[in-house]
Amino acid sequence: MTRPKSSRSRSKRRSRGTRPWLGWAVKLGLVGLVVFAGFAVYLDAVVQEKFSGKRWTVPAKVYARPLELFVGEKLAKTDFLKELDALGYRREKSVDGPGGVSVAGNNIELYSRGFQFYEGAEPAQHVRVRFSGDYVAGLSKANGGKLAVARLEPMLIGGLYPAHQEDRVLIKLDQVPPYLVETLVAVEDREFFNHFGVSPKSIARAIWVNASSGQLRQGGSTLTQQLVKNFYLTNERSLTRKVIEAMMAVLLELHYDKKDILEAYLNEVFLGQDGNRAVHGFGLASQYFFSQPLSELHLEQVALLVGMVKGPTYYNPRRHPERAKTRRDMILDLLAAQGVVTPEQAAAAKARPLGVTTRGNMSNGSFPAFLDLVKRQLRQDYRDEDLTEEGLRIFTSFDPIMQVKAEDSLSETLKRLSGRKGVDKVEAGMVVTNPETGEVQALLGGRQRNFAGFNRAIDAVRPIGSLVKPAVYLTALERPSQYTLTSFIKDQAFSVKGQDGQVWRPQNYDRKSHGTIYLYQGLVNSYNLSTSKLGLELGVPNVLKTLARLGVEREWPAYPSMLLGAGSLSPMEVAGMYQTIANGGFNTPLRAIRSVLTAEGEPLKRYPFQIQQRFDAGSIYLLQSAMQRVMREGTGRSVYSRLPRSLNLAGKTGTSNDSRDSWFAGFSQDVLAVVWLGRDDNGPTPLTGATGALQVWTSFMAKADPLPLDMPQPDNVVQAWIDAKTGQGSDSSCPNAVQMPYIRGSEPAPGPGCGIQAPVDSVMDWVRGWMN
Amino acid sequence: MIKWLIPVITASAVLAGCASVPNGSIPVVDAGAPASANRMDRVGGGAAPANAPQAQPQDSGVVVMVPGAVGGNQPLTTSPITTGPITTGPITNDSAGSNIYSQPSAPQAPTGNSATPSGAAGGLSADEQLDGPVLALLTTAQQQQGGGDLDGAASSLERAQRIAPREPQVLYRLAEVRLAQGDAAQAEQFARRGLSYAGGRPQLQASLWDLVAQAREKQGDPAGAAQARERAKVAL
Repeated sequence: MTRPKSSRSRSKRRSRGTRPWLGWAVKLGLVGLVVFAGFAVYLDAVVQEKFSGKRWTVPAKVYARPLELFVGEKLAKTDFLKELDALGYRREKSVDGPGGVSVAGNNIELYSRGFQFYEGAEPAQHVRVRFSGDYVAGLSKANGGKLAVARLEPMLIGGLYPAHQEDRVLIKLDQVPPYLVETLVAVEDREFFNHFGVSPKSIARAIWVNASSGQLRQGGSTLTQQLVKNFYLTNERSLTRKVIEAMMAVLLELHYDKKDILEAYLNEVFLGQDGNRAVHGFGLASQYFFSQPLSELHLEQVALLVGMVKGPTYYNPRRHPERAKTRRDMILDLLAAQGVVTPEQAAAAKARPLGVTTRGNMSNGSFPAFLDLVKRQLRQDYRDEDLTEEGLRIFTSFDPIMQVKAEDSLSETLKRLSGRKGVDKVEAGMVVTNPETGEVQALLGGRQRNFAGFNRAIDAVRPIGSLVKPAVYLTALERPSQYTLTSFIKDQAFSVKGQDGQVWRPQNYDRKSHGTIYLYQGLVNSYNLSTSKLGLELGVPNVLKTLARLGVEREWPAYPSMLLGAGSLSPMEVAGMYQTIANGGFNTPLRAIRSVLTAEGEPLKRYPFQIQQRFDAGSIYLLQSAMQRVMREGTGRSVYSRLPRSLNLAGKTGTSNDSRDSWFAGFSQDVLAVVWLGRDDNGPTPLTGATGALQVWTSFMAKADPLPLDMPQPDNVVQAWIDAKTGQGSDSSCPNAVQMPYIRGSEPAPGPGCGIQAPVDSVMDWVRGWMN
Repeated sequence: MIKWLIPVITASAVLAGCASVPNGSIPVVDAGAPASANRMDRVGGGAAPANAPQAQPQDSGVVVMVPGAVGGNQPLTTSPITTGPITTGPITNDSAGSNIYSQPSAPQAPTGNSATPSGAAGGLSADEQLDGPVLALLTTAQQQQGGGDLDGAASSLERAQRIAPREPQVLYRLAEVRLAQGDAAQAEQFARRGLSYAGGRPQLQASLWDLVAQAREKQGDPAGAAQARERAKVAL
């Protein structure tokens, strides 16, 4: 590396040489020239090779679900505005372009940004949304045109980074906002459009400025030289490097025009450090600091970013807002002085705040647990290099609104419970899905927000306790000739000798037996004695078969203790199992990814919705009915101290031995959530399923405000009136008469009516019951 | 009393089920008629919650049956199998595992709309009109399918399904596209799911059963297909 330098300096000395040395000098000069030319050719190859090929590798980007808008949609205005804030929409008096929103009471006007989806392009459009209660009551184009459905651009929730963790959002020169190029040129390289890579004029001015101020205030590097430095060279500071840099800058200018060089510069320049991730280019910097696409930035935002080129850490506007503002305002003054903007424009821009978003809002990759799930699913289909280098766009089902509600529910509940001894050691895992689509909407890997560590939602495999019981009862309800919800079963102590010779003696949680009960009461009150007795009657292997059909893929030994939940599952697996119950007996593999596009927006892969009917709808209907009674009158009844009674919910508590695991799994029509609480060291906790996990679940459902469970009654199900005390067929006009669903043919024969004390409003029910 | 009929019918149902069902699948119980009239106003309007502030354009799948009309203004359209009280046989025979979730194979040449049964989305009958967002997405999907973009069509239909998860017409179209993609097993499943939401809509039920029949034929199950075709006739 030192050779070209010495040869070059010698060749310079040539002119000063005296006559006797001339011959030598010429010869040496020729050698030097050849070496120099050779080196230049080499540099030229380097310059062209990297610049003409793929200049950058771009990590895959992971997006949340796009928010859909349509009339009749259940969506709270506050949630909608939160989403818009996280997407970086500017609140404006009147909307004047993509990314703008104005709010007037329940009327919201916004200009969406448009986005390329798997199904096609969603245009940027100016729309009006009217809210009423928690519903979208009106949707139209701003010009009054009809609009049936629209969707916002999806929130970017993270990327899949390679080891060196360099990240960027590639932009084209025609996507940059007004003033960006002008400002950059004015601040960093005034002669950019006139020089040939290096600028003697700039160097001279730099020397002059530095000398007269006595400080190192200006560097003479052109934008081209800066690009070369970042792009090809190390950070070493030496004269050699300076010379190579200058040579390469000239070569670059020889081959490529100013636009190419400028575009490369805009994408390459380092503008900040986000933990392990290096923020490169104005495209990503704009997202990172303003949560906005670059094209939407205003003058003062442009000035702030350009000001940071000089020292991204020193002028970091989040860490040093004062410093960054001084720098920004200085640049705005400079622009006014150079005539790029008017003094009025500069003054107006200086009056604006920095406008930098705070970290830790909904975007900016704060959802490690869900991203972890996405990565695991992607790694089954793609090589690591494809994920970290090809700029793939991954579309997921992640719902940031649900996620934040789940996080809030967990932290609030644990705070409320913190008085109990040992709760501080309790960890958590939580899964939220939509049972009607099988999509994962939110995932909590632990009690600490944003903690990217042990992902308990996927990896904490724990005994599920009474969460297994619905499988026992479902096995029974699939045999309507033998079992109905009102069959009598015995809840009393017993013991069995297992195959291993061990005597198994189950006990109820309250250590009591409850005599003869209705079958559904065993589930509703989570009685261990009656449930295990029933399970043994049915046969443990048959219950395990039911579990497999529900979606549990683990092989468990057919021990009687399995009937009370000795088998272990992760919260995700529990969600898969309960999803089959919630979705009318149709099993769906839980999905987090919807589709994948290439960096250019071409469809690459789809993860289709798949279902398979595993159970007759009738038996599922009966099971759901019993699981609704769990919430109304059983172990889950505390929910209705906080939730409206009109909200039909179904679920089940689960507690393992010594309260080591506190579970709750339950669902409404459109939301299914599974909560696990327990300690990482598997120690006992002070929480049962009802006092721990159910509390988190309840708090979450209160925030999620779901639709009431409403499974259509299958054809083979009839509602019959029975006497609540005897279980015999009764009539709606009779005291103690309650309605129960049965598989057609298994209902008790209707009893005689009880005369005229029939309440008027049940006459129609009576008629209907009679007609059945 | 006709109690003696019950075991006879059960047995025939079980036999029919066993004889005709492809491995691992379950015959669906006919959704011939709603169990009670007042449930009907909830069927179908998946996207429009009852308390939505603005009246939705009427989903006439609902209007066909006048809500509140008690008793059956609708004749019970049940096949022998649905009157069989207890459908244990075929169901307990099912076990999880066999040919589940086969990925859709490479799209075959679209079989074309000629293969779609009457009442297909192209020409929905008057009583099957849909409202705003779902109709818009179904139209988009139709265009995508017409242009040979089956993946795009399926994707648009899934988008519609997220908006109106209980709208049987969406599930019907999804089944149709899956069939065109060569995934007959999933086509049958989606048609069945549609049937569970199609109570009170006999035309749609007939179309769904017809689709089940086509899917079973493609899966090499002519007997099951014939059985489904019978259902299609009964539903009408």
